[in-house]
Amino acid sequence: MTSLKAHELLTPPCRLIDQTDLPRVGFRGAHSAEYLTARGFTLPDAPNRATAQADGSWVARLSQNEYLLLGSPADQGQRIADEEARWELDHRAHYLLPRQDSHACVLLSGTVIAQVMAKLCGVDLSFPAFKPGAVAQTAAARINVIVIHSGSVEAPAFHILWDRASKDYFDGALRDALEEFGGVGLADRA
Amino acid sequence: MNRLPAPMGLLIQRDQPLDFSFDGHPYQGLQGDSIASALLANGRFLMSRSFKYHRPRGPLSMAGQDANSLVQLPQEPNVLADAHALSNGLAVTAQNVNGTLDHDRDAYMGKFSKFMPVGFYYRSFYKPKGMWKVWEPIIRKKAGLGVLDLNFQPEYYDKAYLFTDLAVIGAGPAGLQAALTAADAGAKVLLIEQQPILGGSLTYARFDIAGTRADNLRRELLSAVQQHANIQVLTEATCNAWFTDNYLPVIQGKRLYKVRAQQCLVCSGSFDQPVIFRNNDLPGVMLTSAAQRLIKLYAVKPGKRAVVLTGNDDGYLAALDLHDQGVDVAAVVDLRHAPADQALAGALAQRKIRCLTNSTVFEALHEKGLRHVKGVDVRQITAQGQVSDKGQVIDCDLLCMSAGYMPVYQLLCQAGGKLAYEDSRAEFSLSGLPQNLNVAGSVHGRHQLDNVLADASNAAHDIALALGLSPAAARTPLRSEAQVNFNWPIFPHPKGKDFVDFDEDLQVADIVNATRIGYRDVQLVKRYSTVGMGPSQGRHSALPTARLVAWATQRNISETGVTTARPPFVAEKLAHVAGRAFDPYRQTPMHARHLQAGAKMMPAGIWQRPAYYGKAEDRDACMQAEALHVRNKVGLIDVSTLGGLDVRGPDAAELLNRMYTFAFLKQPVGRSRYALMTNEHGVVIDDGVCARLADKHFYVTATTSGVDRIYQQMLKWNAQWRLDVDVANVTAAICAVNVAGPDSRKVLEQLCSDLDLSAEGFPYLGVRQGTVAGIKARLLRVGFVGELGYEIHVAARHGLALWDALMAAGKAFDIRPFGVETQRLLRLEKGHVIISQDTDGMTHPAEIDMGWAVSRNKPFFVGRRSVDILEAQPLKRKLVGFSLPKGSVQPLEGHLVLNGPDISGNVTSCEYSASLGRIIGLAYAGIDQSTPGQCIPIRVEGGIVVQAEVVQLPFFDPTNQRQEG
Repeated sequence: MTSLKAHELLTPPCRLIDQTDLPRVGFRGAHSAEYLTARGFTLPDAPNRATAQADGSWVARLSQNEYLLLGSPADQGQRIADEEARWELDHRAHYLLPRQDSHACVLLSGTVIAQVMAKLCGVDLSFPAFKPGAVAQTAAARINVIVIHSGSVEAPAFHILWDRASKDYFDGALRDALEEFGGVGLADRA
Repeated sequence: MNRLPAPMGLLIQRDQPLDFSFDGHPYQGLQGDSIASALLANGRFLMSRSFKYHRPRGPLSMAGQDANSLVQLPQEPNVLADAHALSNGLAVTAQNVNGTLDHDRDAYMGKFSKFMPVGFYYRSFYKPKGMWKVWEPIIRKKAGLGVLDLNFQPEYYDKAYLFTDLAVIGAGPAGLQAALTAADAGAKVLLIEQQPILGGSLTYARFDIAGTRADNLRRELLSAVQQHANIQVLTEATCNAWFTDNYLPVIQGKRLYKVRAQQCLVCSGSFDQPVIFRNNDLPGVMLTSAAQRLIKLYAVKPGKRAVVLTGNDDGYLAALDLHDQGVDVAAVVDLRHAPADQALAGALAQRKIRCLTNSTVFEALHEKGLRHVKGVDVRQITAQGQVSDKGQVIDCDLLCMSAGYMPVYQLLCQAGGKLAYEDSRAEFSLSGLPQNLNVAGSVHGRHQLDNVLADASNAAHDIALALGLSPAAARTPLRSEAQVNFNWPIFPHPKGKDFVDFDEDLQVADIVNATRIGYRDVQLVKRYSTVGMGPSQGRHSALPTARLVAWATQRNISETGVTTARPPFVAEKLAHVAGRAFDPYRQTPMHARHLQAGAKMMPAGIWQRPAYYGKAEDRDACMQAEALHVRNKVGLIDVSTLGGLDVRGPDAAELLNRMYTFAFLKQPVGRSRYALMTNEHGVVIDDGVCARLADKHFYVTATTSGVDRIYQQMLKWNAQWRLDVDVANVTAAICAVNVAGPDSRKVLEQLCSDLDLSAEGFPYLGVRQGTVAGIKARLLRVGFVGELGYEIHVAARHGLALWDALMAAGKAFDIRPFGVETQRLLRLEKGHVIISQDTDGMTHPAEIDMGWAVSRNKPFFVGRRSVDILEAQPLKRKLVGFSLPKGSVQPLEGHLVLNGPDISGNVTSCEYSASLGRIIGLAYAGIDQSTPGQCIPIRVEGGIVVQAEVVQLPFFDPTNQRQEG
């Protein structure tokens, strides 16, 4: 039995790392999969799935033909920044989406992150409903968010992306949700 | 204090005393006490006065189910004393009293009750004409219960979702058993309990003569639940409603949980029901379960000498409880001819407790001032609701009563469940529940403990199967059980005060009279008499009311039914609903700079934008100064909120050609074009510019508030047309500024090394891609404010650097930022419309002189057919420019334009222009009023009508020399 009295949920704190300034980019189009595969990325085999790359970056598949690439802290996202820089509009259906500028991004990790998100989001992000590698494109605190489970069952971690113009707003909502869990503030940066 | 020894007192901590006061008198309670239990432990029974007659009242249910225990806290009225936890230093007072609780000057009201029948105030205070004004303040003063603290500071309330396979509502024996069975099968179970401890009736009721079964069973079930990893428990939590698909709002403390459950099992139990007789509301008269709660939960001895009035065997068991705790049980008065279990009669006899069968209490006798029960007049029952002429008086200071049980049906009826009355058992049963909502235990009509457990197991078994799980054990058969409800526990007294509804002081005659006046339907009886409308919401009055209405209207009880149960189940605070509301806002990358510059921020949709730079009280001066600065020097405005769409692909031009009214197929690369959009009805819905960056790439701007809709429209239409094009909403990704004014080129020249900024090299409506201060940028020559201007669009991450670079480069030219309100004035001077401010839900292009922006040479655009139809009809109104001399009363947006006795339009924009030295504006006017030189009457504040002159647009720089410079 577990008690759900809020004050009894002060279990291990969450860790929140602001990755807004870590490079990331999106690609969309019928030729995007072919292009990214040729560039050495391992792609998820279905929409709303995400795959970790060997270098620590992530590729999330947001629809049949749309991919979101999250840079790795290991190389400060350089690989992804290079991909963004080398893209050109050509004859192929392969369009760049400026995700670093359109979205803010944090990495939220810890054992209670599903409960933290349950204060903001109406989608069940707890295991086993939301497994590692799963992607939820939903609303949290009344704005659109993309949640990517980039952790494991033992060590859950969510990449959370949202409208960059609402960064201050959602930072506040997230900080408020974290308060009862003793989570760290948003000072940590990748 | 009057406390029983352990193990009584499941909830209290005897070593943790708490000091508190009630009506100014100091008392001591214990940690775990409710306010009411602590008062009762101190011998204080009188806690409130009734709503209408101000009769003395003490606790009835000890479960927060009645209005008898409503008290006032310093910051909160109408607190249920029997449900509110005691805390140290708590100052509790009585409410709804005139004088003091002990000496309420309004207590005389009861003596006039025959003059105040139900509905008397509907009919009595309106005659003679005008009398209502006399009565109203008196009635209003008497209305209401507690007093609001208007200095109350809002506290933190929040919400959270909870997800589960099965939500079990109620953790009594049925809830505990069901949770275990389902959890054993592998289901994730959420167990929701209103009380601070689990067990429900096992915590206070007695189920066997020895009095050991409840404790043993509770211990056993609790141990299993506590060890089960699949069960989560919410205590002190109330499921306050049932909504479609098992969406359950559960309140715990200051949090509202929004529970989403695949399956829901309601084990809410049943409410103990009172017997209706004269003075059944006296302090010291309480439900049998209330006395048991006092003993078992709080170790409070509820009285010295008790009478138990019962319609079932549970009264006998309660009598044994009272006897065991040293209460002298003077008699058990059984409404029936005999108990169902004869062994109970033997147990009473063994303890020398008198048992009077086929009898009832006809009247409770009281101390002076109705302060407490002091005895009962017991009579033989001779027929339904009738008693013998003479009886016997038994002295007592405690009367426990139980006429039977009413299922806690509220959530189930909210879900569409139907109540049907079974005459054979004299109780309601439920049917017609939606899929995935189940019921078990006494709310399901199972009262015998083994049946309760079996029923719960069976329900959980079925739920497990529905969840695709494999239950461990097979279904268990149920046994027949004795009736628990006495079929007519209502004994009207010739002198009345036989209360059916304690909240509203409604007596038997009140209900019966309502039916005689013609309110035969129970819903109408409710509205006329207010029965069931008080704080307890019919928990104890619904069943007797149904019986009385059925009897008085000669129908059966099923036909009569009960009134509709609506959410919430218990009173909930607005704070629970409103708490921690999410109110999104957006900020541009330069937001901090605006604040540093002293901007007065304003909302633009959900964006926060600078209105102007300066204090609010200096609004006009700041705005006019900023406008003149742009006209004479150079200004910088943050236009990042402007919608931005990247339209790319072989069919990009084709998509825009179909979406917008203008033609785009042949638009040259490096040029922008005004873009006006209509909907299928020909109504103007948005505008912007389409900048062609490459053959297959357009950068389209849209209005701040309209871009999301335009983006959706593009996606929708493209899904239909199947064009080879990609549309990306880059509004947040790209931020932008507009450098405007005669010196704007000079400022930009400081920062651009790879662009020819000359008038010839970068003409009006030109589009360029280059760098500004080393930042990759898209530049658009625009003229929205009517000056030489450059919109610079860069990636959001570079917005702050761009702003700083421009302000630094512009320092030599006295650059200053300007805000949205200034921009609105500047564009008004140029006669540029703002879609949605100067247009409405009917505006078509011809009404705003935008016919030039509609291509007649292409076969289609969205709204084309409607535009053609609208333009073929005579224009009825038109947006015109108007002017008033400086010093005139300035019209405001929305003020009406008159045409004789009719309204022909309204003002859409109006401002004083320092550049022009007069008031200028835009307004819709009748077509016969729209010729320049004509006057339009505008009705302004105070009903004054000003005569404005219609003028040719634009007001400023009609040859466009400045913006094209």
